[in-house]
Amino acid sequence: MTPTQPTVPERAGDRPFTAAAPPAPTTTSEECVIVSAPPLSAGAGNPSADCIADSAGGLTFDLDAPGRAADAHWSAALVLRPRGGEEDEEVRLPLTPNGTGRLRAVLPSTVALPEGRWDVHLACGEEPPRRLLPGLADLRSLVDRRPGPSTSPLAVRIPYATKHGNLSLRSWQRAPHAEAGDVLVEPEGITVRGTLYRVEDPGAWLAGAVVEARCRRAGPTVTVPLTAAEGQDFTFALPFAGLCAEWRGGPQVWDLWLRGPEGTPARLARILDDVADKKHVFVYPARDVTAPHAPAQAGPYYTADNDLSVRVVERPPAAGR
Amino acid sequence: MRISFLIHNAYGIGGTIRTTSTLAGTLAEQHDVEIVSVFRHREEPVLAPGGKVRLRHLVDLRRGGPGYEGDDPEHGRPAVVFPAAEGRHGQYSALTDRRIAEHLRRLDCDVVVGTRPGLNIHIARQARRGPVRVGQEHLTLGTHSERLKRVLRAHYPRLDAVTTVTEADARTYRRLMRLPGVRVEAVPNGVPVPAVAPADGSGKWVIAAGRLAPVKRYDVLVRAFALVVAERPDWRLRIYGAGAERARLRALIEKLGLYNHVYLMGPANPLEAEWVKGSIGAVTSSLESFGMTIVEAMRCGLPVVATDCPHGPGEIITDGTDGLLVPVGRTEAIAAGLLRLIGDDELRRRMGAAALASSARFDPAAVAARYESLFAGLRTRGGLRGGLHRTRGALLSTAFQAKDRGRSALRKVRAA
Repeated sequence: MTPTQPTVPERAGDRPFTAAAPPAPTTTSEECVIVSAPPLSAGAGNPSADCIADSAGGLTFDLDAPGRAADAHWSAALVLRPRGGEEDEEVRLPLTPNGTGRLRAVLPSTVALPEGRWDVHLACGEEPPRRLLPGLADLRSLVDRRPGPSTSPLAVRIPYATKHGNLSLRSWQRAPHAEAGDVLVEPEGITVRGTLYRVEDPGAWLAGAVVEARCRRAGPTVTVPLTAAEGQDFTFALPFAGLCAEWRGGPQVWDLWLRGPEGTPARLARILDDVADKKHVFVYPARDVTAPHAPAQAGPYYTADNDLSVRVVERPPAAGR
Repeated sequence: MRISFLIHNAYGIGGTIRTTSTLAGTLAEQHDVEIVSVFRHREEPVLAPGGKVRLRHLVDLRRGGPGYEGDDPEHGRPAVVFPAAEGRHGQYSALTDRRIAEHLRRLDCDVVVGTRPGLNIHIARQARRGPVRVGQEHLTLGTHSERLKRVLRAHYPRLDAVTTVTEADARTYRRLMRLPGVRVEAVPNGVPVPAVAPADGSGKWVIAAGRLAPVKRYDVLVRAFALVVAERPDWRLRIYGAGAERARLRALIEKLGLYNHVYLMGPANPLEAEWVKGSIGAVTSSLESFGMTIVEAMRCGLPVVATDCPHGPGEIITDGTDGLLVPVGRTEAIAAGLLRLIGDDELRRRMGAAALASSARFDPAAVAARYESLFAGLRTRGGLRGGLHRTRGALLSTAFQAKDRGRSALRKVRAA
């Protein structure tokens, strides 16, 4: 007797996502947490795709052949469509037998996938493409990813289950890329450690680099120097005082950029792991700041795109006491 | 054999549902197996049993569906057979009493298996003569109220067997309940072999998973991890799961300044893809009826540092061989256990391999085989002996009920 393997993968249930609401969201994420399989009631009957990630940024999809398995693959393709994009932007990946009776599609890191969210469909012959459900996602090689030296854009693709339970990919493509590491939140400001990727000479690039905090409302930019740089790694400290000086109430967001001596600046982001949506997982405390305008609270957070920003808000009446 | 399971709601999500689904699916490879779900609130089961298992329901609670019975006046009247002392009593009704009774009177099987105390009592009182009657305990006797224990003591003598998920709980049953002629046997839960390759022990992550509930003592784990980070800041902790403790844990993580090292990941399913991202599993509960997450982690090749709490961990982990057992609630001891595995790559890999090997005994095939031999043994006992046992059970049952009634009457007098 052998153990039964359920033919339908287990699905994340109707357990509500109970993450504490962030203080004052400036962007709302449509997506739910890392659930490598769909919540219930999603596209019942649609096939699901298992997914394996390699450390270079490539993804392999395996799925059970739909319909008549014998000839299904002749016309079958995995179709990636950009969320809110046009049909002619779609990426088609051929599905071929993988040798164990299933169909396989490969998305190598070298296939350009512009930044954004991509919905994964299965196309068979003349039928309209159907959304795929997430199966088992083996993303272990993405955890603590440390890409090697290169100057071509860094490709990051993280598969995830949407809140409707469908399979989508989150894609980033960055050169240069400034990966945020540990973020220390102190009473007077934040200290961030990061690593620079995809520039010719990281040492020289960082030697002339500064960090810019750009206010999202048109207006000022606050610039701070790096406090340390060694090889690809850098550290900077960003005091809250500078961000609060001109603040006149209401939520205000500052996006953080690493700007080198020349070329494109790099948005500080955290994308080199398996967590598609950082916002509710990488959560940092906010600190009370005495701003000229009114008592304020400031703290770092990850945006819906996993970019690092700092938010200044009015201090809630009883916050932290 | 024809085997019929009786379950609260096979369409929901939970440990008992998962385990029953796994067991039924495995037994169905050799036997004729059905799962009868008292309730059905959605179209498709989330944790669907294998293809050969027949699944049906007794009361339809699919809102908006043509067969919805939630508004039936009979469903508005309280249950009498399903005991009031059972935690789920509020969901049961005169309607469920009647439907379950009808089902049990018409049973067409060799073995009927109840999956929670209230349903075991239905089986003890109402199953027709013939089928072997088995009552499963998925929690523990000790976690039931005194009131429920008295009800169980009154009716369980009419079962043929009671199964627990640990030896420890089986001993408690034998000690505290007088169940002459009733087989009390521990059969652990089955955990299927993961669909992903086991962990290789290289990732610097400790993984924990479960409901964020007070009994899981994740606060102790977070405090212990502060001691780990002080020595090994290159290691981090992921806690998977949802629950009421989330905000409190978040606050504790911030207070201890661990927000770069301890992450509340939210719920994940299936968990096997998450276990293999780490190299050590951690369980710091104050109570585990079984310890399913320990087995899951071990089946993924992780050595687990677990508190030696009642009831399961000590029966799953062989301390120092395939994992570590540490005292309950002691942050220093938990941290020391984690650091011992963190600091010794060779030990960690060796224990991970041992965990992978030893956890194979929880394979659903092995667990189903134990149930098969239990069922077969009870069936051959059948006939005259079974009849005698039933008669004695019925007599005993009546005697206990009278005694317990007397006791509660006395209590009422005292309370008045």
